[in-house]
Amino acid sequence: MKTNRSCATLLALGCSLALAAGCASTPAPTEQMAVSKLAIATAVAAGGPEHAAVEMKSAQDKMDRANRAMAKEDYDVARTLAEEAQADARLAEKKAQSDKAQKAAAVMRDDNRVLREELNRKTQ
Amino acid sequence: MNNHYAIKPLALFVAAVLSGCSSMPERNSMLEQARADYGAAQANAQVVTLAAGELRQASDSLDRANAASNKGENTATVDHLAYIARQQVGIAEETARQKNAELMVANAGAERDRVRLDARTREADAAQRSADRAKRDAEASQRSAQASQLQSEASRRQAESAQRDARASQLQSEASQRSSEAAQMQSEASQRMAMAERQAATDAQVSAAASRQRTLDAEGRARLLEAQLADLAAKKTDRGMVITLGDVLFDTNQSQLRSGGMRNVGKLADFVKQNPGRIVMIEGFTDSVGTDGRNQRLSDERAGAVRTALLSMGVGSERMTSRGYGESFPVAGNDTPAGRQQNRRVEIIVSEDGGVIKPR
Repeated sequence: MKTNRSCATLLALGCSLALAAGCASTPAPTEQMAVSKLAIATAVAAGGPEHAAVEMKSAQDKMDRANRAMAKEDYDVARTLAEEAQADARLAEKKAQSDKAQKAAAVMRDDNRVLREELNRKTQ
Repeated sequence: MNNHYAIKPLALFVAAVLSGCSSMPERNSMLEQARADYGAAQANAQVVTLAAGELRQASDSLDRANAASNKGENTATVDHLAYIARQQVGIAEETARQKNAELMVANAGAERDRVRLDARTREADAAQRSADRAKRDAEASQRSAQASQLQSEASRRQAESAQRDARASQLQSEASQRSSEAAQMQSEASQRMAMAERQAATDAQVSAAASRQRTLDAEGRARLLEAQLADLAAKKTDRGMVITLGDVLFDTNQSQLRSGGMRNVGKLADFVKQNPGRIVMIEGFTDSVGTDGRNQRLSDERAGAVRTALLSMGVGSERMTSRGYGESFPVAGNDTPAGRQQNRRVEIIVSEDGGVIKPR
């Protein structure tokens, strides 16, 4: 167990060194930033602000913070926030689309109910 | 899910050894939430059938979060990956709800026909009932006619006029019985017709169900795919299916996609997500007006914009390549405005299942 642990400690040390080295040279996540920005624009166009206000606000807040992190060259933070903003925006977009589809289905259901009642009245 | 529970003690042990401390790391509640959400979505047949692609993405993200947790990465990283997984489960659920509602809208027409058929069946039933009533009335009036005939025979001499009345009323009752029989026959015929229609509707429903089943089958899938691609006006070539986004779908001389272009890209993203075995190559082209450098840049940027749009819709970057070709490979003459407009385009090539696209 003892040798095991010292091995593991060495490994952990190596890992964190590699990680630290990775952090230092993290490239700017420009593509992720563009992707997230577009996802938000698409969600807004789909009606996200009306149909999924919470997710939409979360996406926009995270995008703002990601932009600030980019300005500070805090690229890991920027990427993390941008990825979450994209996920939030896509959920908002889907919620909006699903809301609209469900409303359309409800209208059709109502139309059929009215038709049924009308025909029932006629045959009674 | 069983798997996760089996791995967990081992993972915690490994994490404890890696961090080199004696206390157990605390449980990650975001990850547990993500696992629970995913489990619920996986148990929902509607999500499994209607949002298979989205659910698979959620599953991949959850795997990454689990792996990070097992490797003992810091809480923020695990939280982040688990958060993405949770949102993707939500996306899968909303997609299933949307598709389900769309199916309901599509089926509402059939439901309307069913309502009309029900109404017609009820009409036939009502006709039958009124025929029955008429028959009973006729029988009663015949009985009363017979009674009055007996009476009139007993007092024939005194009431010859009454006998004539009785005969007349018998005739009348016979006529009304005949008419009731006719009504009954007619109601039976309309009932038969309604039954035949109902049968036909049932048959149609059965065959519709069978054809739905077939589209789910492997061979039917191909047809479904082609229909989806036909929606995008895809052309079949030896390199794969080619979808062309014309110049009008971009802002003039810029790489920004217009809303019409985004809609097409959205359809394509749906298609690609449901078909994980296919890869996508995006190629941009311009006309010959302007410098080579500027054309190269615009074609690069337009191809890149399509790639970014697909990425933002959740298509994995490892499945896409994009490249600009400037004014090379024109599809029409550059000497007319119409020809030049045709040359300003982005072509999206979707591979067959297997993921190989021949380079140009």
